[in-house]
Amino acid sequence: MQKSLVAAALAAGLLFAGSAAAQIKIGFHAPQSGPAAADGKSSTIGAEIARDWINEKGGVLGQKIELVIYDDQNKPDQAVPIANKLIGQDKVVATVSGSYSAPTRAAAAVFQTAGIPYFSAYGVHPDITSGGNFAFRGVTLGPPQGKGAAKFIADKWPKAKVSVLTMNNDFGQSIADGFKEEAPKRGLTLIKEYTFGLGERQFGPIIASVKNDNPDVIYAIGYYFVGGPLVAQLRAGGLKQPIVAAQAFDSMKLMEIAKDAAEGVFVVGGMDRQRATPPDLQPFETEFKKRAGYDAEAVAANCYSAVMLMADAIKRAGSTDPKKIREALAATKDFPMLTGKLGYFNSVGEMYMPLEVTVVKGGTFQGAAVIDDTAILAPPGK
Amino acid sequence: MYFVELAVKGLVYGCMYAMMAVGLTLVYGLLRILHIAHAGVFALGAFVAVIVANTTGSLALGFVLATAVSAILGVAIYRFAYQPLLAHPPFVPMIVSIGIFIVLQEGFRMVFGAYGIAFDTNPWYVSTVELAGVRLNQVEVAMVIASIVLLVGFGLFASLTRAGIGWRATVTDPQMATSFGVDPIRVRYLNFIFGSGLAGIAGALVGLLNNYVEPTMGGLVSYKALAIIVLGGLGSVRGTLIASLILGVVESYGTIYLADVFDRDAIGFLFLIVVLMMRPQGLLGRG
Repeated sequence: MQKSLVAAALAAGLLFAGSAAAQIKIGFHAPQSGPAAADGKSSTIGAEIARDWINEKGGVLGQKIELVIYDDQNKPDQAVPIANKLIGQDKVVATVSGSYSAPTRAAAAVFQTAGIPYFSAYGVHPDITSGGNFAFRGVTLGPPQGKGAAKFIADKWPKAKVSVLTMNNDFGQSIADGFKEEAPKRGLTLIKEYTFGLGERQFGPIIASVKNDNPDVIYAIGYYFVGGPLVAQLRAGGLKQPIVAAQAFDSMKLMEIAKDAAEGVFVVGGMDRQRATPPDLQPFETEFKKRAGYDAEAVAANCYSAVMLMADAIKRAGSTDPKKIREALAATKDFPMLTGKLGYFNSVGEMYMPLEVTVVKGGTFQGAAVIDDTAILAPPGK
Repeated sequence: MYFVELAVKGLVYGCMYAMMAVGLTLVYGLLRILHIAHAGVFALGAFVAVIVANTTGSLALGFVLATAVSAILGVAIYRFAYQPLLAHPPFVPMIVSIGIFIVLQEGFRMVFGAYGIAFDTNPWYVSTVELAGVRLNQVEVAMVIASIVLLVGFGLFASLTRAGIGWRATVTDPQMATSFGVDPIRVRYLNFIFGSGLAGIAGALVGLLNNYVEPTMGGLVSYKALAIIVLGGLGSVRGTLIASLILGVVESYGTIYLADVFDRDAIGFLFLIVVLMMRPQGLLGRG
């Protein structure tokens, strides 16, 4: 009995000693098991690369960065206890979500109450930032993305008739909403919108109908694993129209699945892998491939940049006080994210970033255009 | 023409569903177990096909091994999970079956990676044939041919051979069949070999059709094939086939005309509810 008490006291002492060693703790959660595990793995590796590179260069404020990583299984009911654990037990000064909308949205409320800065690296649901001023987002919201696509299509194919294929989740719908609002203003005609589920891989009836509609341009909103089969089947179905796709088509898997059919597909909000700027993009891609065994996705790049931005904010705050970090984050100007230059955050923590348009050429994504239009891309306020 | 094309696309899906669902209905007919793990067998078939085809370059070998490995997994599930539990009420093996499915799905993710695998070469996928103005890719054609050949073959086997007749007798009245010298254990093995092998082929074909094999691809089978066997009348092979084709066509039209209101999957289940309200025993079920 006595012995175990001593051991417990010793262990407790060690624990305290551990936490006293100067480390700045940043929380991180992502789905590492379950159906969303693929993105969770990429996002975690992206964040870890940022941590390692920051620490190699001496850390922040003379201290090393420690990422406290949890698996949220893409479940809101896991995200809430994780958020409480990060705040109460791990005492993080800020947290990055490398997860989807549902868990991020649930955790955001907890971080808001505790007054801890919280950064959604790629979760797109509007409610993530609407709960208060401690939540920020590192990705362009759905509606501005849709508006950007309308501008891109109208500029390239004036007065085009467009068929829209939308994935029926919050991601797809919010982009489609923006597109449908902007398209008529720019002289585009919307022939018909078709919707499909996340699990859909066979689009025969939709393709037969689009063929019947005979549009000038096809605008497809979905994830790459839906997009790959969709693009291949559109081309196999004899449709030769230009295909413009939404951000989540941005994955090298798109080309693996759709093969040559992916050639010429435009991705609004994609990432040009060949860019020379920012200077850490090419080293990041090399390092990511080394660690993960496959090519980096925008998801990984976003999480990398999110941790980098958080470290930058701590440096600018000159303190690990969460309130000061929040102020520094809110004051961010022209921060070089891998996906583009983050211009500023508006009052609700939504960022402004020019949208890059890429095109698949020779089996890789290449830059095709940049949409830098504050009128349509400005993040919506409260 | 356009309406015909929608119907043809629907029938192609119907064939795909039939190949997924027949194994499930066979197991239910014989053992009264809802064999959810069948969905895992289906996905394993797809993984074996894509990995073998990508490493050896031979799609044919991929198909052979996919069929064999799936059949072995099906038999193993019967032998080690269901057989010891046959004395228990049917929900006990069903819960075990759900557990096996989850383990398989997570296992695929851990072993084969969460991102899924595409076929390196898949020539059928992009080459198309035009039949009376309807354009189909060659995998779709292969899907239809495979399902017709395999299911007609199975029908002939069940009605013409001794083993097949014994099988049907066991499904109808196990005790009577046993007293006439049919070995019920052998029938069960045959049942799992055929049903699981078919699921493996279906998995490989669906993998080719999407050119993408992913750990969660069994999900489709786990709920849609279940809906189909209920729709067809539990345990009725003929009912399952008819239900598969009808569901394929209903979904095909529904995707276009109802998708603003309902998801494609929701359309299938709505149809199921409507049918069950009128025929609670299913299309061809015995009341």
